[in-house]
Amino acid sequence: MKGLISILLLTFSFVSVADEQAEAIFKQLAPSLYQIRIIDKASGEKSTIGSGFQITAQGLIATNYHVISGYARYPQKYTLEYLDHLGNKAPLTLESVDVINDLALVKRQVDEGMPFFNIAENAPTKGEELFSLGNPHDLGMIVVPGTYNGLKQESFNDRIHFTGSVNSGMSGGPVVNKNAEVVGINVATSGNQIGFLVPHDKLKILFEQYQKRAPESIEQQMAQQLKFNQEKLISQLLSNEWHLKELGEALIPTIDVPYIRCWGDSNADKSDALVMVAVANCSLEEDTYIEGNFLTGSIEMEFRYMKSLKLGATKFYRLYQNQIARVMPGNKATKDDVTEFQCQHDLVMPTHQNINNKSIFCVRAYKEFPNLYDALYLGVSIDKDKQALISHFTISGVAKDSVQAFTKQFMESVSWK
Amino acid sequence: MEIIIEEINRSHKLIGRHKFANKHITIGRGYRNDIIVSDPHICAEHLSVDFDGENWVITDKNSINGSFLGDTKKLAHGHIIRSGDIITLGQSQIRFVFPDHPVPASTTLSPFESLINLARHPLALFISIGLFALVVAWTIFLNNPKEMSFTQLLVPAISMTLMFLLWPALVSLISHLTKHDARVLTQLGVSFIIYNISWVLDFIETVVSFNASSSFVLMPVLTLLPVSLAFCLFWLNCYIGFHMTAKRRAIVAASLTILLFGGSYLIQLSKQPDFTIKPKFNNVLMTPNFVLAPSSDVDSFIQKSNKLFEKADSKIDDE
Repeated sequence: MKGLISILLLTFSFVSVADEQAEAIFKQLAPSLYQIRIIDKASGEKSTIGSGFQITAQGLIATNYHVISGYARYPQKYTLEYLDHLGNKAPLTLESVDVINDLALVKRQVDEGMPFFNIAENAPTKGEELFSLGNPHDLGMIVVPGTYNGLKQESFNDRIHFTGSVNSGMSGGPVVNKNAEVVGINVATSGNQIGFLVPHDKLKILFEQYQKRAPESIEQQMAQQLKFNQEKLISQLLSNEWHLKELGEALIPTIDVPYIRCWGDSNADKSDALVMVAVANCSLEEDTYIEGNFLTGSIEMEFRYMKSLKLGATKFYRLYQNQIARVMPGNKATKDDVTEFQCQHDLVMPTHQNINNKSIFCVRAYKEFPNLYDALYLGVSIDKDKQALISHFTISGVAKDSVQAFTKQFMESVSWK
Repeated sequence: MEIIIEEINRSHKLIGRHKFANKHITIGRGYRNDIIVSDPHICAEHLSVDFDGENWVITDKNSINGSFLGDTKKLAHGHIIRSGDIITLGQSQIRFVFPDHPVPASTTLSPFESLINLARHPLALFISIGLFALVVAWTIFLNNPKEMSFTQLLVPAISMTLMFLLWPALVSLISHLTKHDARVLTQLGVSFIIYNISWVLDFIETVVSFNASSSFVLMPVLTLLPVSLAFCLFWLNCYIGFHMTAKRRAIVAASLTILLFGGSYLIQLSKQPDFTIKPKFNNVLMTPNFVLAPSSDVDSFIQKSNKLFEKADSKIDDE
């Protein structure tokens, strides 16, 4: 009993120390914290809010790209402004973005040097206590304590796994250590105490680049970043070994990189099924957010093996045909973002001659970012009477050479056992 | 001097033909006339034609609505008749022909006609309708993802066949109403034979579109097949059901074809959204037996996609 009480007391004192620390940090940093608001010009009301924090005495403020994405894409529709801890509002200018790491730099007018956040030199250690600052749901600035849990596994672009409640509206807010140095930026949450942060070094790089030379046009900067990132991703995927895995009577490729994850399903439990179906789906569960429904940077591969149990070949193939008509792209980009898909088809046999496919390949171009495309491939086997393999991938925001190299590799990798 | 007088009703249809050897012929609604016309716009004593030893001359007997040359407003009174002249009285017309009026050369009984008559043979009729119903049932069976019993197929197959039966029935009805020979069985037989040919053409189109790659340029030509088949159907319907000149028959058949395909094309066009996110591609699949074309290799497939990227780029500038 005595032991229990002491544990309770210990916990209590720990919590109160954390609270005190949080309060001190908040008081000290409050003047450098802002709510960033995107105001719709026509209605005069705010359309997006987020948080931001000052990183220079001259008024440079860091926030998330997704907070200001509306303004970055349609500057004539919106205005950008901040709300400080005293309730003052004033306009901001957009200076630089990192669309891949979801960061943006905006700037306010300052008359004299102001307090600002220092960016940490080193990454925190696992288990270190951190404080996330921000303005969730427009409720006012708050501090949320939490723990650093290292970098997220299975992620192509680094994200910190933070155990603490990051809520919407806190996006763009800083996460600081006990010394009030910025170690990350709030970016996303996947519910219950799991938050994700952009590591501080990404902000540091963006800031240093900005100091050297401010970008001439945000659009060009974004196009360059998208292009560079897809090149890095695709070359990594192509240089890694592609393993072959069995799916029914077929062999399908899997890429041995941690950030591509696979899931599977089948109808083996249905005893009355006319067709046996097994599906494997591998994807990069990471998107680059551009604006609204326009996401890019994703890769998805799906393999569907089917074997007729009770159907004749003709009916099996007819149902197979109806099934492939339902293919849709991975994102919901609109007319403003992309062109319509252009498609080609042919009967194609890979070099190993082990499978004969009807191959369908479609591409659409990005309207704002030249030489980037979304591509969609569908290979349907046509050489077995009562078995079929659909090999399918969609890939978004990639250059022509990358798409073609990836498509070739993919087409050559699929075969029968 | 003999003269032949033809009665023509308001819809330009010949309803009577009379030959006279006397030199004075009267025409009117009264029963005393040589030709009695039951058109209410014609007077009891309307008109007479007289042979003066050299010519036939028209005399209008001060009729209320008058007599005119052909479709003109020229009065027919005192007109000297030439062979083939048409006079309009009220809503009707009469045509004068002399015995030496030339007639078109006689047409031989064509083997085509006997071929058409073959279609109305009960056995042929039974086979073509039965075949049609079978193909309908087969298509329904193929497109249903579940197992189906025979009776489940029977009902939709029969109702579909009855629906397609409506067209020849309608044509027969129209030809009956326009005082032509209805020839119901012939219309039925011919229509169902054409329907069955359309299954065959459809199959050929499917085989080609399954085998051909997207760079196959003749694909649009194949879509002309059903159009020309529809033209054949309408042409035969006219040939069987109505007496009309070859030119008129071609025009009617062409207009019906344009109406059918143009109409459905317009409906499709009106439903087309401004922008679709869904890719449109050829998804035709057939069993391995129908793979006729050689497969290309991956490299040439990728090579060909260069054009696709160009096309996508050009769409950016379009809008």
